[in-house]
Amino acid sequence: MKPKIIVGVLAIVFFTSLLMYNFGNSISTYVNFEEASVRSTSHVIGTWESSLDHGFSREAMQFSFHMKDQDGNVRRVVYPRPKPNNFEQATQLVVIGEMRNNTFHASEMLMKCPSKYNDPSELELLNTAES
Amino acid sequence: MVSTFGNLFLSGAFVASLVAMAFYAWAAVSENKSIERIGNWVWGLKGLLVFASSAALIYLLMTHQFQYYYVWNYTSLDLETKYLFSAFYGGQEGSFMLWIFCGFIVGLGLIAWTRKPYKAPVMFVMALTQFFLLSMVVGWDLNFTQIGATPFRTIAQEMPNAPFIQANPNFVPADGTGLNDLLKSPWMMIHPPIIFVGFAMMTVPFAFAIASLWTKTYHEWIRPALPWTLAANLSLLTAIFLGGYWAYETLSFGGYWAWDPVENASLVPWLIGTAGIHAMIIQRKSSRAHKASLFFAILAYVTIVYQTFLTRSGVLADQSVHSFVDLGLYGQLLTFILVMTFMGIGFYLYRYRELPSPDKESKFLSREFMTFTGSMLLFILGFVIIIGTSSPIIGRLFVANPTPPEIQFYNDWSMPIAIIMALATVIGQFLFWQKHTWESLAGKLIMPLLITSVAAVLTIVIGDVRNLYYMIYIFAAWFTVIGNSTVMFSLLRKNPGMVGGTVTHIGFGALLLGIIASSVYTEPLLDQRTANYNARIAAGDVFDEEGFPVTQRVEMFELEIDRPKLINNRYMVTYQGFDLTDSPRPGQQNYILKFEPIDGSSPFYMSPEVYPMLTTSSRDNIEWSVDPFVRTGLTSDIYLYVAGSRYVERRNQELQRQNRPGSIIPVGETDVPDVQNIEIKMGETIDAGPFSFTFRNFIPAREDALPENTQIGIRALIIVEHQPTGNAFEVEPLFAVYTDEGRSFTYSPPLEIDRWDMNIMFTRIHPESDSIELTVHGLDEDFEEDWILVVAEKKPFVSVVWLGTFLLMAGFSISIFRHWKREKDTQESRD
Repeated sequence: MKPKIIVGVLAIVFFTSLLMYNFGNSISTYVNFEEASVRSTSHVIGTWESSLDHGFSREAMQFSFHMKDQDGNVRRVVYPRPKPNNFEQATQLVVIGEMRNNTFHASEMLMKCPSKYNDPSELELLNTAES
Repeated sequence: MVSTFGNLFLSGAFVASLVAMAFYAWAAVSENKSIERIGNWVWGLKGLLVFASSAALIYLLMTHQFQYYYVWNYTSLDLETKYLFSAFYGGQEGSFMLWIFCGFIVGLGLIAWTRKPYKAPVMFVMALTQFFLLSMVVGWDLNFTQIGATPFRTIAQEMPNAPFIQANPNFVPADGTGLNDLLKSPWMMIHPPIIFVGFAMMTVPFAFAIASLWTKTYHEWIRPALPWTLAANLSLLTAIFLGGYWAYETLSFGGYWAWDPVENASLVPWLIGTAGIHAMIIQRKSSRAHKASLFFAILAYVTIVYQTFLTRSGVLADQSVHSFVDLGLYGQLLTFILVMTFMGIGFYLYRYRELPSPDKESKFLSREFMTFTGSMLLFILGFVIIIGTSSPIIGRLFVANPTPPEIQFYNDWSMPIAIIMALATVIGQFLFWQKHTWESLAGKLIMPLLITSVAAVLTIVIGDVRNLYYMIYIFAAWFTVIGNSTVMFSLLRKNPGMVGGTVTHIGFGALLLGIIASSVYTEPLLDQRTANYNARIAAGDVFDEEGFPVTQRVEMFELEIDRPKLINNRYMVTYQGFDLTDSPRPGQQNYILKFEPIDGSSPFYMSPEVYPMLTTSSRDNIEWSVDPFVRTGLTSDIYLYVAGSRYVERRNQELQRQNRPGSIIPVGETDVPDVQNIEIKMGETIDAGPFSFTFRNFIPAREDALPENTQIGIRALIIVEHQPTGNAFEVEPLFAVYTDEGRSFTYSPPLEIDRWDMNIMFTRIHPESDSIELTVHGLDEDFEEDWILVVAEKKPFVSVVWLGTFLLMAGFSISIFRHWKREKDTQESRD
């Protein structure tokens, strides 16, 4: 019985540590654009700066826009795919990619469009439109 | 009024669940039948109240009472009745109510079929879970805290500080915001009920496990619990399938699975439930593994509650695209998960020493050991996925602000586990029906191994598989299919009712094959130019304007109207234009693409759609949403959507122009004359904007096209070419001079080129310079031909993924019948 339990415990410990080690490596932390410029791959959370130019370029086949990160840095972001669904409505964007020369090259982009309209201003708009 | 009753009913149900709980506890302790009967009556009453409050909510939804936040938030006047109904469970509160209702129905089944000694404690646990679920929706405002969020709250209660509410507290919006277009799908109507039926049924093994610990009867509980667990798993599997199918057909990420937390939330309980089924089967057959079956029965429900906590408490808010609205239920959900875990696991540990354990260890080559291995592997896979999904909590151990793990994490771990599982299923199935030694087992496995090798080698050669790891995976998957089929055929001859297990295992193997084919071997459909460009990117030869190498491949291509392109050296693809329609969605464009395979097989059409998402669009910003088109085939699917088009771009530009405040129009932007006169000699070509006009020669006009009394009647052969694309039309406008009442008139009927919104008239002849004059309307300097951007993928053998899923479902169904029937028979013989 005894050696079996020891082997079992060792196997569990080994498996769990391997799993946690691998898990720790596969997650990353959210950073701002400043920090991203000295890292290889980064996740940056931010919001779309709609006042600056944006759009899909058919020559470069990429979508570009400006994003303000949570610390207020604004950078141009290029994304080599069409503008995603829900882009405009996203309350928050997460771009995954790397920073090169002040431009963030996103390989992935996530839109956070949680609750539709928890924002009362939307309702207000509706209200004024009707009155 | 209705809402007052709705709230009252909910509060009543909440209290009733507490009362039922008390009676069942009393009945369990005192083993008193009549008290138990009172408990049943209270349970029924509680169900009636839940039913009544659900009916009240549905009534409010159907009658469009937009003063209620839930009604306003999830429906609108133009919503079809079926979606009005499904809006009932479209939101967080309503989905809790649906879950509660399913739990109630399951409880009725338990009352009818469960025998002593389990009935009272089982129903106690059921009532306890109902109590927690109801607490999420009662919406009691105790002064110090709020319990739950009721679906019957008004807009004024939801946003008391909004200015328009302060101006007019009785404000009723004229229309609601409507249901998200993506959710308007028949799949999404049936998906939530099925998942909640699964959640509710998964409560049953948990309740039985607690009852077994309570009554210290560790052997018998699995007999009634097993069919319930199987049925719960079948529901969850069906729900997962529907969700995946919906995602594949509706969303633009191009797959059926993305390891999203919400998807994992239903997969993990399924895996743990399946682990539990394996353990229960060993316990039933060999009176072993009591500990494991109790543990997994408890854990399956705990993971349901845990994943509910993750997706509904707002913990995952940053990570999942479709996590629920945070209703401030964090504390309550946390209590729910803690109570369930402590009650389940705590009770389990408390009784652990008393639990029966086998006298001697199972041999390696025994059905007990193999089935138990399957159970452990399923548990390990579930555990890995839980770790991944919990990254916002567990990730804090490593970094301050953790992101979700890369998809690779899930793939890296699930693949080796799946391979071991695949091999274990075959050995397990052989041993399950017959005792074997190594020699006899090897003898049995020779044929299946031979066939597997042939199938695997063929797959590897035909599929051009280069990766050794994938080769092993493919071998293991084929081995599962073939090995289990061998067992199935021998069972079919003996007792066809027993094939459930083998059918599920064959389904599992097919699923593995389908998954690798459709995910790893998906190829983008591209034209030659883009493919060449991607090859240059791969070689590191492409640099952006700042001199950095471009690493992202282009996975879309452009099509201009009526200009075929050769795609993947297989299809000539032609964009043939689009129709605008208002049905089913206003402003929807149906694009038409013709695919002509160059091997000569028959052409086919694909019609992806783009539409403005009305629920999230506003007057100054249209949000365009795509609806992919999937052409399903036996060997491969083509998945395609329109990522951009001239129409959408123009609409956006128009909107931007309209919205520019006090718009200043740059010179020359609007005052471009709509009419242009072009003087042109025979044989000459004149450029006008992006077009060129070539006057070839005169051709005689036919008599019947000319007015009466014509003196001169002639046509000019003009070639109009759109230079950027090279598209050209030949037109033959007519010029005639006729006399009427002694006066001469010219006659120049306009010729229309519909596609360019242009019309051409032949208005004069200048005999002195041998030239003619054309008058052209609608010549747009900025004109460009209609174009679309297409994202398309060819996905091999998605059909096999579905086939595998259906086989799993079929296998579960067969097993449910078998175990249910046996359970009924033994009950009848006992009665």
